[in-house]
Amino acid sequence: MEVKTEDNSGVIILTPMGRVDTSTAKIFEDSVMAAADTNGKIAVSFDSIDYISSAGLRVVLMLGKKLKASNGTLVLINMPDKIYSVFKMSGFDKILKICATFDEAKPLFG
Amino acid sequence: MLFEIKNKIDEIGYLCDEVKTFCNANHISNEKYHDIVLILDEMVTNIIMYAYPDGGEYIFSVEIEKTNDNFVNITIVDNGIAFDPLAKDDPNTSSGIEEREIGGLGIFLVKQLSECIEYSRIDEHNKLNIKVAIVKKEENNGS
Repeated sequence: MEVKTEDNSGVIILTPMGRVDTSTAKIFEDSVMAAADTNGKIAVSFDSIDYISSAGLRVVLMLGKKLKASNGTLVLINMPDKIYSVFKMSGFDKILKICATFDEAKPLFG
Repeated sequence: MLFEIKNKIDEIGYLCDEVKTFCNANHISNEKYHDIVLILDEMVTNIIMYAYPDGGEYIFSVEIEKTNDNFVNITIVDNGIAFDPLAKDDPNTSSGIEEREIGGLGIFLVKQLSECIEYSRIDEHNKLNIKVAIVKKEENNGS
């Protein structure tokens, strides 16, 4: 698993690729936390992962908490239906911002 | 299909690949592959991380089979410390981001994605049976 990083007009878009499970969650965590240390505007794109387990959800929650505490913004984008249903079951759709595309997310970054 | 899994976290990747092969061979949709692999990931991870606190090397078994009435039965048997995953309280999925905790979320997801889960402790072994519906109920009834 690896995490692709891209800068789009001041917003860092992170795209985890492959499986986000317990064996890879640390790589995911290190990448997203390092990005959040340098930039308060983060989008995470979910179109390149097979599935996300609770280990991956934990990392997304940690990132959300960190950006909330530093007055940053986190938006989750490009979520396939199956991944979205896992976020919804977990109640994460109520505490994190989820948009269909990056274009839709853009206004949320101000 | 029976797998012998070592209590090492790298085994998850191997299991995922094997489950993909199993789903393809049994014409199970990608959506259901996703549910099955997530269920296995959560339960197998729990065993690898917590069942053998002495740090030794152990092997436990995961069996997965498709039934004629369109279910997938997953049976996981380990000889680690007694652990009933159903005894845990569900997490509060409606709390705000600051208060939200992650504990128990994995098992909660497994409960949501499966038809039924049974746990038993027999002869120093934990046995977990999980049943997953692979065809929606309406379709099963032929309506």
